[in-house]
Amino acid sequence: MNPLNSQQVRELIRVVDQTREVEITCSECRDAVGEYLERRLAGLPIDAALERVEHHFTLCPECREEFEALKKVLNATG
Amino acid sequence: MGETEINWPELLRAADNASAVEQLRGLVLAALRVALRDRSDVSEAHLEDFTQESIVRILAQLDRFSGRSRFTTWAHAVAINTAFTELRRKRWQDVSLDALTEGGRQLAEHPFAPAESTESSEERTVLLDVLHRAIAEKLSERQRTAIVGELQGLPFDQVVALLGTNRNAAYKLLHDARKALKQHLAAAGISAETIRSTFAP
Repeated sequence: MNPLNSQQVRELIRVVDQTREVEITCSECRDAVGEYLERRLAGLPIDAALERVEHHFTLCPECREEFEALKKVLNATG
Repeated sequence: MGETEINWPELLRAADNASAVEQLRGLVLAALRVALRDRSDVSEAHLEDFTQESIVRILAQLDRFSGRSRFTTWAHAVAINTAFTELRRKRWQDVSLDALTEGGRQLAEHPFAPAESTESSEERTVLLDVLHRAIAEKLSERQRTAIVGELQGLPFDQVVALLGTNRNAAYKLLHDARKALKQHLAAAGISAETIRSTFAP
């Protein structure tokens, strides 16, 4: 592997900066993402537990990608 | 019948669940069609395979459904994860643990491209130096390997497989690594604000 380029250094710095003492894992995110998205689409408030889902998306591009796909499905199916 | 009137978990757990499974299969297939409609690498046969695999996973994981969302939303999330995980695995299946481990070793020795050091401001150079020492001294080889995988854009499941561990253990490994780097930067007197402004694109 080549040394980290500017973009990778920025990404490393960004995820380190975003790191919290307590975070949820990908499987915990998947368990809660349905409730999170339904509340978002209904314009309902997001509590502290669900805010961790939002934070997880800043660190996990895969969960964020799957969230966007789920949003597309819910928007299409109502 | 509206979804609020259907008790999906009960119907799917019943001995005679064939009709419910068939109905769910139709919903999952339709959802995956929408979720993957922009992917040119996904055929109808893929959609059928993903749907089949998703139904197996949904039935095996019924106890994980908490009832805090609609059942179909939860099921679609499982199906989307099933499909995306398989698509990512295919794309990255040729990456080896040796290559990743070697990347982790290099991360400890020469983490940054020359341009990062020579074209940097003094503040940025100091920060990169502190970060380099933290990577070399505070992280284990496995943590560096996992970080290299992440920065290369390797799917998390692939990092998990290459490390020979499970998702929760791998996430903890990475989380502990990020916390160690953050603590090291804080101990060196580098604030989050300094980091953000120094590395603003």
